[in-house]
Amino acid sequence: MRDRALLLGYLAAVVTATLVHDPRVLGAGAVLVLLSAGRDLPRLLRRLLRATLPVVLAVSLGYVVAARDDLATAGAVLLRLDLRVLLLVGLALRVLPAVNLQRALGFSDSLRFLLVLATSQVLAFGRLFADFRHALDARTPARVGPPTALRHGAATAAWFVRRAEHDAAAMTQALDARGLFLDRD
Amino acid sequence: MHIPDGFIAPQVYGPAYGAAGVLWAVGLRRLRRRLDPAAVPRLAVATAAAFALMMVSLPLPGGTTVHVSGVGMVAVLFGVWQAFLALSLVYLLQAFMLGTGGVTALPVNALAMGLGGSLAAVGALRLLGRGRVGLFLAGWFGTVVPAVIVAFVLGLQPLVARAADGTPLFFPFGWAVTLPAVVIPHLAVGVADGVLAVLAWRILAPQEEP
Amino acid sequence: MIATEQLRHAYGPTVTLAGVDLVLAAGQKVVLLGSNGCGKSTLLKLLAGVIAPSSGRVLYAGRAVHEGLRDKGWRRRFRREVGLLFQNPDAMLFNATVLDEIAFGPRQHGLDSAGDRARDWAGRVGLDAVLDRAPWTLSAGQKQLVCLASLLVLEPRLLLLDEPTSALDPRSTGWLVDFLQDLPQTLLVATHNLSLASELGERCLVVGEDHTIIHDGDVLALRGDHEVLARANLVHTHRHRHRDGEVQHRHYHTHDWD
Repeated sequence: MRDRALLLGYLAAVVTATLVHDPRVLGAGAVLVLLSAGRDLPRLLRRLLRATLPVVLAVSLGYVVAARDDLATAGAVLLRLDLRVLLLVGLALRVLPAVNLQRALGFSDSLRFLLVLATSQVLAFGRLFADFRHALDARTPARVGPPTALRHGAATAAWFVRRAEHDAAAMTQALDARGLFLDRD
Repeated sequence: MHIPDGFIAPQVYGPAYGAAGVLWAVGLRRLRRRLDPAAVPRLAVATAAAFALMMVSLPLPGGTTVHVSGVGMVAVLFGVWQAFLALSLVYLLQAFMLGTGGVTALPVNALAMGLGGSLAAVGALRLLGRGRVGLFLAGWFGTVVPAVIVAFVLGLQPLVARAADGTPLFFPFGWAVTLPAVVIPHLAVGVADGVLAVLAWRILAPQEEP
Repeated sequence: MIATEQLRHAYGPTVTLAGVDLVLAAGQKVVLLGSNGCGKSTLLKLLAGVIAPSSGRVLYAGRAVHEGLRDKGWRRRFRREVGLLFQNPDAMLFNATVLDEIAFGPRQHGLDSAGDRARDWAGRVGLDAVLDRAPWTLSAGQKQLVCLASLLVLEPRLLLLDEPTSALDPRSTGWLVDFLQDLPQTLLVATHNLSLASELGERCLVVGEDHTIIHDGDVLALRGDHEVLARANLVHTHRHRHRDGEVQHRHYHTHDWD
């Protein structure tokens, strides 16, 4: 229940934040989200900046250059836009990791089942992938050039595809052995 | 090509959720109706494979690195429907596990990359066969077509969402800016995706045959 | 040669190493024992500088590794002198043939006659017959040997080996133990296999389930120290019934002992 309520609350906040256009309201919302982090504020700020800064800067600078004849209007447009981005991305970083997706979307058994399987596989693949990157790092004295990187990328991609096929077969056998397909012919 | 939250207007993400929602429902129903017990596990691992492929990064001349999109490879390996569902799941899990990706951008990404990219990649392969050219173009179109769609959607924002004084409420640039700014870099990224698809297939293909 | 100072590492909220101090002297053969998930692999990756510590530092030849790796020349030297064998050999293999795989390191370091060096080391670990095969078509044991040869071909000074016998059959395991003993390199070998410990090295570090080093010393002394072994989850006790009597009793037990 908690997860579904959290998710619905988050979605309502997102929709509201895209329907309201007053920069004071958007700014107040962003400040609220930031303050709600409490002691985690520096971490949240860091992640927020890392997620938004490059694209927000590129868009903002581009817009200032394009609208240099009327900087006041450009400033108002950018204030509204950037505060909205901050609010929405902050909200996502703050709320979504706390939501248990499997429980929030638990209205369908097969969807929940799919999410559990996919999440565990994604986490496992993420850890395995880190090893591939580390191994290349450990074996190279300097940044590798494009030919090596491509060869490494292709071998990595192929390995994960094969691993995926293998895991799918193993998972199906395990589910079968546990009686999951008994109701099917 | 990650669109953050706050750039897409409700006039666009609303209908995008509608369209993507219908397709998700159809895809999941197809999955259930196929009496193949491996269907759900296959989709789960296809999702993980797509996730891993997206983490592959390649250096560009000039010292930056770029992540490949992996869309073409996923589509070629798993088919359009599976690829669409798997890529949608990746965006969903990224949004929830890492808090990145953005829920307002999610349906746009799912439609652009998961559907548009997969269709383009599989189309290229059908037309040209599983030779080197076909695989390369599958990888290339799998990156470039989504970029065109994303550029189109971004450029649409100032047209559909404007304040009373005519200033844009969301993403502020029109097509004249978004098409070259988004598409041109992806013409190059697509080359990386294409070469990767060809090389990876060369490793996988000998084992595909009995 | 390599040392750590209060080395800590955590993945998010999960602590993987909680303050490790160790010193390896040149030429030592050291075994790193611990149960699965205690942080052995993490420690090796930290020593090889492929992941960064959360706090504390690794010192190689007197310099902090993470600071040194930013210096191009130092990084080149460090990568040449320190080799890390990954637990999953697939993570290391990406070249088209076994020969290319082994020659990759020498080519990266710009050494002359990389091909000859590779052929030589392939022969020493018994891979002559598969030089032209693609590494991903080999058996798990052969893959492990390709990885090992890829490291040895650079003639590093320090070898960090993560479960090097995990995919080897008993005969190859025996061969590898002898082979490693004859190497001049400083060795740190991680394993959860107690019976291999005494064969692989004279000194033994035990990582406990609290992610700290709970034993540093002689291997043979460790085998009598049931308290440490139980704390590290390297032995277990269970009810035991002997054929010659009715008596049931408990004692420490490992199924891979000798």
